[in-house]
Amino acid sequence: MSGDERTFEELQRELDEIVQRLERGDVDVDELVPLWHRGDELYRECSRRLEAVELQVEELGDDTRAGSR
Amino acid sequence: MKVRPVMYGERRVFPVAAFNRGVAWYLGRLPEVWVEGEVTELRRADAWATVFLTLKDPASAATLRVTMPRGRFDALDLTLADGEKVQVLGHVELYEVRGDLAFRAATIERVGVGDHLAAIERLKQQLAAEGLFASERKRPLPRFPRAVGVLTGKDAAARGDILTAIGARYPAVRVVVRETRVQGAGAEASITRGLEALARRGVDVIVIARGGGSLDDLLPFSSEQVVRAVAASRVPVVSAVGHEQDTPLCDLAADARASTPTAAARLVVPDAREVRGSLDRLRERLSHVVSSRTERARERLDDRRRRLRVAPGLHLERRRAGLDRSGARLQALSPRATLERGYAIVRAHDRAVRDADAVTLGDTLAVELARGSLTARVTRVDAGGPG
Repeated sequence: MSGDERTFEELQRELDEIVQRLERGDVDVDELVPLWHRGDELYRECSRRLEAVELQVEELGDDTRAGSR
Repeated sequence: MKVRPVMYGERRVFPVAAFNRGVAWYLGRLPEVWVEGEVTELRRADAWATVFLTLKDPASAATLRVTMPRGRFDALDLTLADGEKVQVLGHVELYEVRGDLAFRAATIERVGVGDHLAAIERLKQQLAAEGLFASERKRPLPRFPRAVGVLTGKDAAARGDILTAIGARYPAVRVVVRETRVQGAGAEASITRGLEALARRGVDVIVIARGGGSLDDLLPFSSEQVVRAVAASRVPVVSAVGHEQDTPLCDLAADARASTPTAAARLVVPDAREVRGSLDRLRERLSHVVSSRTERARERLDDRRRRLRVAPGLHLERRRAGLDRSGARLQALSPRATLERGYAIVRAHDRAVRDADAVTLGDTLAVELARGSLTARVTRVDAGGPG
């Protein structure tokens, strides 16, 4: 999962859908456990992504010294 | 005005005060004129009745001291900066006590402001007619960007403000900073290149962060090149240029505008604490729904087991009851009950006799009664009619 290229938003949406599906109650009992695991996994991945404590700043060159045209 | 000299023989000599008064009077007769130069050494204080500045000729070192009543200066609301070119309407006067010459200003106008404003207005009309500022063109900003591009000048304040604001709200994001020229020659091309470079870098949203400045300073952000580049950007753009009262055209072309870097940060990244809260609520719902579903399934299972356990007993009971009902019905059909009512069963040759023709004289008949039986012999036969 940590290699998941999808955005935070997409992961959170999937988690949301799983919860809603389960809440609607049309899920077979056999599916409960795998769905729960999937949801838990999504939750952990989302949490992990939120955990960054320091902003990652990348400098993309300095164009201020470029010659004027 | 008559200034009287003191006569030293043939020589007419003027006392300083008288001379100054005379010159002042003479200068006072000169007409009002417009003088153009660059503003330097502007000094204004609330406690002073007069505002002082020096006009410099950009082509030479010539300077002219300018004074203006503070009330009148403030009413113009120019916020002049050093180096700005102005035209001053006024007349020259002499400060008699010191013999200093000064230009007394009636009004000051920034050179080119009118032209700039008119040009911006024309461009605005033209681009608006093309639909560049239409609300349908505005794209929604990503709710959870992975990377935010920040286009900024060397202005440490704007840059620091936005990085601090983003870091405080949502540190889980990568910020790509591109420094560009934001004013003066080459700024437009530099800003345009910066937008492209950030988009190529794969950022999800771009913030143009530029602190406040004079109209001239912000001109590049109203230039056609920059406005078109903002409108054409593949990546949504948030314009945080100038202060609240400034509306450079790039604000209108951008997908969203913010009046401060902090406001821009609020637009481009979510609040990590809120996100964390909603995530935790989702997790709670997930656990709750799974445990309640599991519980219900378990209850149903228990119910079935209980029913399964009692089912065989029930089954037997039902069979028994059915059997009893059959027995009763069987009983009702028994001929014995008929015999009790006085009927008898007559058999000849081991068959029940229903017809007199079935027997002949002398046959032996077995007669079964409700209780016991007897044997009889046929002594007479009367043939029965049909039926």
